[in-house]
Amino acid sequence: MGFLSLLTGPVAVGAKEMSLWERMLPPEDISGEGHLIDYLFNYTTGMNVFFFLLVCAGLFGFSYYYSSKRNPKAYYTYGNKKSHILVVTLIGSAVFFAVDFNLTRMANNDFVNVFMNFPKGDDVFKVEVMAQQWMWNIRYAGQDGEFNTADDIMTNNDLRLPVGRKVVVQLISKDVIHSFYLPNVRRKVDAMPGRISRIWFELKKTGKFEIACAEMCGTHHYLMKAHMTVLPENEFNQWMKQAQTIALAANDTENPETYWGWKWEN
Amino acid sequence: MAFYKQHMHEAPKTFLSKYIFSFDHKVIAKQFLWYGIFFLGVGGIMALMIRWTLAFPGVAFPLIGKFLFPETGGVVPPDTYAMLFTLHGTIMIFYAITPILIGCFGNFCIPLMIGARDMVFPSANMLSFWLAVLSAVLLMGSLFTPLGAAAGGWTSYPTLSTLIGSPGVGQTLWAMAIFVLGVSSTMGAINYITTIITLRAPGMGYFDMPLTVWGLWLTAILNAIFLPVLGAGTLLLIFDRVFGTQFFLAGAAATSGTGDPILFQHVFWIFGHPEVYILILPAWGVVSDLLSFFARKPAFGAKATALAMTSISILSTLVYGHHMFTTQMSPLLTQTFMTMTMTISIPSAIFFANWLGTIWRGSIRFHSPMLFSLGVVFVFGLGGLTGLYLGTVTTDLYLHDTYFVVGHFHYTMAASVLLGGFAGVYFWMPKMFGVMMDEFLAKIHFWITMLGLNGVFFGMMIVGYGGMHRRLYNPFIYEFMQKLIPINTFITWSAIIMGLAQFIFVYNFINSLIRGEKASENPWEVGTLEWTIPSPAPHYNFKEIPVVKCGPHELGNPNLKSGRDFQYQTEDLVQA
Repeated sequence: MGFLSLLTGPVAVGAKEMSLWERMLPPEDISGEGHLIDYLFNYTTGMNVFFFLLVCAGLFGFSYYYSSKRNPKAYYTYGNKKSHILVVTLIGSAVFFAVDFNLTRMANNDFVNVFMNFPKGDDVFKVEVMAQQWMWNIRYAGQDGEFNTADDIMTNNDLRLPVGRKVVVQLISKDVIHSFYLPNVRRKVDAMPGRISRIWFELKKTGKFEIACAEMCGTHHYLMKAHMTVLPENEFNQWMKQAQTIALAANDTENPETYWGWKWEN
Repeated sequence: MAFYKQHMHEAPKTFLSKYIFSFDHKVIAKQFLWYGIFFLGVGGIMALMIRWTLAFPGVAFPLIGKFLFPETGGVVPPDTYAMLFTLHGTIMIFYAITPILIGCFGNFCIPLMIGARDMVFPSANMLSFWLAVLSAVLLMGSLFTPLGAAAGGWTSYPTLSTLIGSPGVGQTLWAMAIFVLGVSSTMGAINYITTIITLRAPGMGYFDMPLTVWGLWLTAILNAIFLPVLGAGTLLLIFDRVFGTQFFLAGAAATSGTGDPILFQHVFWIFGHPEVYILILPAWGVVSDLLSFFARKPAFGAKATALAMTSISILSTLVYGHHMFTTQMSPLLTQTFMTMTMTISIPSAIFFANWLGTIWRGSIRFHSPMLFSLGVVFVFGLGGLTGLYLGTVTTDLYLHDTYFVVGHFHYTMAASVLLGGFAGVYFWMPKMFGVMMDEFLAKIHFWITMLGLNGVFFGMMIVGYGGMHRRLYNPFIYEFMQKLIPINTFITWSAIIMGLAQFIFVYNFINSLIRGEKASENPWEVGTLEWTIPSPAPHYNFKEIPVVKCGPHELGNPNLKSGRDFQYQTEDLVQA
């Protein structure tokens, strides 16, 4: 009855034929740094599979071989023999050195050298984002290169970025905490009232992608969606020029609401 | 060791003093059990509503949907959805797991397993339960306020949880409920700690305590230290909401001076991370004991297990920052918290090795408590290992606030604790109520629950890796999540199966209470102190305070001549 159509209904909406494996894959990585995260994820997965198989081998193997039927007499030990302690110590240090040590080292390197190493210089493309319930306000510096001036270009839920340039986004929130989530860049950062957070990335592929809010921000949290359009440099410059003209004509310079931006924080 | 002379009190005679306002730790334990099972049901139904909405957006919730949400024809509305996941989290953590694992097992097991006649502070114990009831009334009452219950997630981050994001009185009531519950649990914790320190039977050193008591003891210590922190946080939140202070307001909303919303996250997670261990430690303790009891051999490296649990408890207080990587704390703090987090896997690996060492070369009896204990080893293995992705800062930047996190913490906090709790209920049922539960039904219950919960929580991790984030009313307005619809449907069916399986438990539980097979004094043939007295335990517990002469896991000693393969803790260790 109804139940069966419920099961098949949404599958039809999912449209394209897809294997389970394809459905399980994360969104396409379009950033220059996302592969570091994917690599670390896969490394961890490899290690986890190994150690979990070890646990399962013990769990199911011992359950099978040492059931009371097969092994009526238990081996009386407190596990305090030298060999016992040695094995446990070995397992403990194997986990520590193979997994934790490596993970910490690699994550630390990536974090410090890449993700927190914000690019500087003139060719860095800067954007300011103010999150609010339930939309993303986006601000470009405009022709004078300064934020919070009359010539700033402002859009709602429509982030356009050039491909192949380093982009730095500074974020703030107007009301509650939001989180700027770019699934295709593999990263997110919270947008908080009263403090500026930042994120940088380099986009490698043109196209239209989605931006989501990842932090619960109220009833319509799920509707807080924006688009990120990645354009080739020349197309982007064209759009920028157009948007600049519109902005100069349309910005209400008398309205204090226009100046929600802030001086770029280096 | 017993510091005090423990008097034998007369049995209470009136209904009120016997069943309602009872000082007896065993009765209070049962009260907490009923309370916890009730809220497990409430939280479970909420979970099913959440799951239903995610798999079949826009479809009326079957059976009860039409009565609950008449204005939408049975479909869960978005604001109610937010209340549902907020209350699901709050209820499961504070009103289901805490009362069952800590309130029920703590109260029931501690005095019986250490050979005491009752808790040190029986009236604080009673007060602890009735404050928990008051707290539940506050929380459930919030559902009937004009703007509904709290809807900011169980973490209730400001500024969403301040008047800016939640104008309704529901959020205030939530904070008050949590505060009152904090008082209740702190009272219980002080009681447990003091009881364990002062009322251990003569001859019982700390390492002669069953590991269950170790788990409960460490839990109580963490509770006593960190619940007041949460209490302080929620109190400040109440001040912000009711008295107009600005502890957690910043930016445009802070009209006079400025606070910091991130401060609440620090306060919340200083409590919140130990809370994870508060919930899981009793289950670890129970499992460590049961594996030994049913493998018929001493717990492998029991001392190391106890010390590993202790060091995890200490480490758990130093790692909370990994919940806040995306708030962009100072990179130095981020690195420190990541490194500290990673060290937790050393003691975890040690007691995993000890668990497997316990069943190695044992003579395993697969009774239902054992099945559930082995289940805990399996699901906690998965839960613990997937924590690595989230403790690592770079992978966390992608996975934070996705369903991967939801799947991970459900494996550790929900699956392991639930299975550990069931193991405990099946195991202590004879001592608690004097009856045995039906083994066949218990085993069916185990396998279906196991199947269902792995479908649910592993599925969650898969959709999380696919990028689906948390707390979305309708995730499928995002194009990149369209492909995850079938997996979400699968998760929901698994959840429904898991939910239905719990009816087997409820039936089995009630049925055995009414016409269950009478339990003998020691049906599982183990030697800890609670099995030396009749089933159900008499109100004074021990006629004579027992004198402890050996450890709790003396099973399979080849020198035993008595025909038993175990010996009681009150007997001298048989040597060759």
